[in-house]
Amino acid sequence: MLLEVRDLKKHFPVGSGLLRASGAVRAVDGVSFSVDVGETFALVGESGCGKTTIARMVLMLERPTAGAILFDGKDLAGMSGAGLKAYRRQVQAVFQDPYASLNPRLRVRTIIAEPILAHERSGRAALRRRVEEVLDVVGLPAAAADLFPHEFSGGQRQRIAIARALAVNPRCIVLDEPISALDVSIRAQVLNLLADIQERFRLTYLIIAHDLALVEHFSTRVGVMYLGNMVEAGPTDAVFDRPRHPYTQALLASVPRPDPDHQPPLDAIRGEIASAMAPPSGCKFHPRCPRAIDRCAVEVPAWRSLGRDHAGACHLAEGA
Amino acid sequence: MSQPLLRVENLRTHLFLKRGVVKAVDGVNLHVDAGETLGLVGESGSGKSMTSLSILRLLPRQSGRIVEGHIWVDGVDLASLSEEEMARDWRGRRVSMVSQDPMTSLNPVFTVGDQVGAPFRYHGLAHGARAVREAAVKVLRRVRIPSPEKRLDDYPHQFSGGMRQRVVAAMAIACAPRLLIADEPTSNLDVTIQVQMIALFRELQRDSGLGIILITHDLGVAASICQRVAVMYAGRIVEVGDVRTIYRSPAHPYTQALLNAIPHLGQRRRRLHAIAGQPPSLIDPPVGCRFAARCSRRTAQCDAEYPPEVELASGHKVACWRPGPEAA
Repeated sequence: MLLEVRDLKKHFPVGSGLLRASGAVRAVDGVSFSVDVGETFALVGESGCGKTTIARMVLMLERPTAGAILFDGKDLAGMSGAGLKAYRRQVQAVFQDPYASLNPRLRVRTIIAEPILAHERSGRAALRRRVEEVLDVVGLPAAAADLFPHEFSGGQRQRIAIARALAVNPRCIVLDEPISALDVSIRAQVLNLLADIQERFRLTYLIIAHDLALVEHFSTRVGVMYLGNMVEAGPTDAVFDRPRHPYTQALLASVPRPDPDHQPPLDAIRGEIASAMAPPSGCKFHPRCPRAIDRCAVEVPAWRSLGRDHAGACHLAEGA
Repeated sequence: MSQPLLRVENLRTHLFLKRGVVKAVDGVNLHVDAGETLGLVGESGSGKSMTSLSILRLLPRQSGRIVEGHIWVDGVDLASLSEEEMARDWRGRRVSMVSQDPMTSLNPVFTVGDQVGAPFRYHGLAHGARAVREAAVKVLRRVRIPSPEKRLDDYPHQFSGGMRQRVVAAMAIACAPRLLIADEPTSNLDVTIQVQMIALFRELQRDSGLGIILITHDLGVAASICQRVAVMYAGRIVEVGDVRTIYRSPAHPYTQALLNAIPHLGQRRRRLHAIAGQPPSLIDPPVGCRFAARCSRRTAQCDAEYPPEVELASGHKVACWRPGPEAA
């Protein structure tokens, strides 16, 4: 396992008003999963499910409240000095909005060179070569290095962000909604590029996305999250072919398809996501679940196997 | 044949900017019948939002201008009206709009009741605080806000994302408009909420004969709401037809490429057919077909002259020199 997440929690304290007792948003509330070398693990779920918070903890932009993140078997919490620096080099990120993630005042050359210089001593000539090399990998001409981000389109900017991530030879890239800010005709270019470099450099991807068709297309394994918990996880084929958790089923049924004869059913799911400050008792999904029984409101469903490498947390899902 | 609700004829809308004149809408023809939803599909910069802002006469005041064309609604050319006439009788009254982001289209410092009541007050459809409140409750009930009478005095931030978008929809249909322009009304919403909004639009339409223009880049959303779809590229409509024709037998290479460029549920890990290159600049668009540079069927003719619109079947029109099914 390259990346392992164990019972990870992140609670954000809120509203410590004068008279009001303070509470906490349980953004991530005990999530475990692991990602193997060369795999693409996708975290899916609606806004507020905690998927981005997990990505931020993996990138060390947020400190976990509890639980552990292990990289190559080593706990992040115990890392310091050189170990920590090595981790930061090996795990890179590509964010959603290439208009916000590239500094508009820096030339592309400086943008890509920054992570290299942070991690190694590099002569001018070597640095120049490396920048041009990664630009070539992402399909941009060497001349792009001397331009500013605003001189590029959205798709090209995302290529620059990918080049920056690749510059330090990472082993794992966290992709946070990497194509959702791009135009439809550009998305395929970027997706195909990500697939190519994954194969070429044997990269491991952790991808955060809300677009289920993209996730089915792009990932090898998937974890479905709801209100801070994982509700179902397994190989992408198994989860998409035979979704076992009612939430996964509802999500898949709700996706509008480019097929005029397909109407998403209205009764797949009710209401809206509950507050992460006061989540429902028992199974957090029970107030919206079309199949909920009395037990669901009282007892938190245990995480159990639903087939080969396929698992979920639902009282109603039978093991395979 | 009866008159369509909306008929846009040869609309040209330009943006006069420092760096040049952007021909954002460059000769658009379209029509919408009562009770019908027309999908306007395209990428950002294709001119779909500028088309809708032209119809509502909400173009950027400094730079935007309709330079040519007509916008007929009920026999009146909206393109020729004064701002006073437009504001008094049309905008928000007979032609209204739902925009993408419910958070920016609601004012955070006014209650929802104030804002939903505003169109009734402005257009004089309800007189006195009590009547306005009653009208607001009624329209909030129509968009399925639970116990609306209790929520009138709440502020937008007290509503969830899905409920906020319903409030925006309530404001848009308050004066029982004939035509509603919905600009990406579901694209910031989660899928489970999206389904509910799609159902709401269908319901409003069935009850009132409302004509809808749905602007979207999401081919899935367009397929589930629209009866007809128009595909825009670089300021022009390149193909229009009923929804089944567009999805089952598209004839324009751009429409075909667009459908092949996105992953669809159930189609696994095949390589996506990326469309190479980017749309052209609209300051200095090519004289020929604007998609030619990215098209697999390009010939010399495509670069020399813009293709005329041909009608392949009733209502299925395409602007392409070599229209037809994809090569296998």
